[in-house]
Amino acid sequence: MAPQDFAEVLALCQFLPGPNVGNMSIVLGRRWFGLAGATAAFLGLMALPFFWVFGLALLYSEWAAHPMVRAVVTGVGIAGGGLFIGTALKLAKPIQGKWSAVALAAACFALVGVGRVSLFIVLPVAALLAWFAARRGVL
Amino acid sequence: MLQLAIYFALLSLISVGGVPAVMPEMQRLVVDVQRWMSAAEFTQLFAVAQAAPGPNVLVAALIGWKVAGFAGGLVALGAMCGPSAVLTWWLGGYWDSMRDAPWRKTFQRALVPITVGMILAGGYVLATPYGLDWHNALIALASAAALYATRLNPLWILAAGGIAGALLFG
Repeated sequence: MAPQDFAEVLALCQFLPGPNVGNMSIVLGRRWFGLAGATAAFLGLMALPFFWVFGLALLYSEWAAHPMVRAVVTGVGIAGGGLFIGTALKLAKPIQGKWSAVALAAACFALVGVGRVSLFIVLPVAALLAWFAARRGVL
Repeated sequence: MLQLAIYFALLSLISVGGVPAVMPEMQRLVVDVQRWMSAAEFTQLFAVAQAAPGPNVLVAALIGWKVAGFAGGLVALGAMCGPSAVLTWWLGGYWDSMRDAPWRKTFQRALVPITVGMILAGGYVLATPYGLDWHNALIALASAAALYATRLNPLWILAAGGIAGALLFG
């Protein structure tokens, strides 16, 4: 598989709904081995981590009563939230300086993150706005 | 459990921008609407999923597990992956005809700011389980800066967050 081809499949998977790597496994599995390939790739990707994460969760629930353990895990979770913020900033590089795009991102953040409005309301409205703005070359 | 499955299946279909983009909605449902767990417990489950190797969609399995046991975990993960997997399978066949279509570029450009806003919202919600204060702002902003500006493995950033948590909340 050529790097260019890989990049294009990745781009497709990022704009389809669903976990990006999961989509990737389906598209590539399908390409090479059809339905069986897609299913195998997807399950292969999920199976081992599934048991890992449960092992860790069981271990945690064993110790969750301990205040220090809870403090550490809460710290990890907050840092994980920080990683999301860092990821968002990286994704925002192409829209730096495009004020209409920055304003749309800020509005989505304020409504969903701070205002706690449902994504099922915000997403369709934002998508429609963004679509028309992008078609007119404003985004 | 049925409610969980239906809701996650709907989330699956709107998860353009990946799982991080729907985290704020998942938290809203689980914590604010259904009150299956507290915001702190949600952030802690998310921490476990982040610390384990594997795709971040696994947090769905942990939420299902917390709500309805091991079967709940399987159902939640299936609901979160199934609908989008079917859609991907189906659309994957049209990829060659879509690849050079002008609307695809427009669509992708339109999606960037929305994804940025939603992931930012997810980070904010996860980082402020007890409301916004200087403790969590410090950990979250330091982690965000470390990811943005350095090439550190994110696991080290999570570990540093754990140490900071012990010092600040312990």
